[in-house]
Amino acid sequence: MATTTAAITLTSTDIMDSPLSISNTSTLYTAGTNTGLVETTGLARKKFASSGNIILLDAGLAGGVAQDVTEDGANKVFIRNINARGDGSKFVNILLAAVEIGRLYGGDWMLIPWSAADGKDIEFTASDTTETILEYMVFYE
Amino acid sequence: MATTTAAITLTSSDLLTNALALSASMTLYQHGTTATGLDEVNYHRANIPTGTNFDLIQDSAALSEDASYVYICVKNTDVTDYVIISINAEVIGRLYAGDWAFFPWDNDLTDTQSVSDQTGNDSSIEITAVTHEAVIEYALFHNGETLVTAADS
Repeated sequence: MATTTAAITLTSTDIMDSPLSISNTSTLYTAGTNTGLVETTGLARKKFASSGNIILLDAGLAGGVAQDVTEDGANKVFIRNINARGDGSKFVNILLAAVEIGRLYGGDWMLIPWSAADGKDIEFTASDTTETILEYMVFYE
Repeated sequence: MATTTAAITLTSSDLLTNALALSASMTLYQHGTTATGLDEVNYHRANIPTGTNFDLIQDSAALSEDASYVYICVKNTDVTDYVIISINAEVIGRLYAGDWAFFPWDNDLTDTQSVSDQTGNDSSIEITAVTHEAVIEYALFHNGETLVTAADS
């Protein structure tokens, strides 16, 4: 087994009267165990210049890495929009199948669990055709 | 405005042949701005009973087409405990004991007429606890919600 940790810190000195400081570290285990996840796509990078809907991770695909992702496992997906923020109006919509999750602006990142059920692809749609680069990584069982 | 930062570090010395050390940090800005931070936050701790799919974070018209961010952490310690996180009818995935998630959220769907309306095609973030009651902590960083007028106002 491998030991992979994901740590987050959320901090602000002025969003509330008292400083906000949230931190957590989790070890990425397989579902219901203390055994670490041992499979990953590695860090990948995708460059695109389209405002069309694009599949980033094709769940249930017959072949390739996606086929190996166990449905309803303890899979995690990291995605980062590495573009500069610019004027703050450009973003990439991240979707699960047809449902929008949210917007990743330039510099934003996210870490979510992923059911990887058949057809529950992780997709994205950019707000315009500006060249955009996403980095992503899947930890899975 | 406020300045709130979210930082992640992903590390492993043995997942790959070479060490993994990935880090990223972001400031939570309002949509369409270059330096204006989100200045509202809801931070909760809740016990989620098993067996029912609950609205964890209620959709709201004011949260539509904007920059909002959600943090959810499962505080349970039994490794078999987990919660299912979903939006509308789509299951995003499972968070097991100790797991956390952080993601942007845009109230994108159509049913935003009333935050007190629990029906319809909405973008509320939903949660179901499985195995045991789940103790979770969650936060929503946002740019304003639609407040509900008191029924007795």
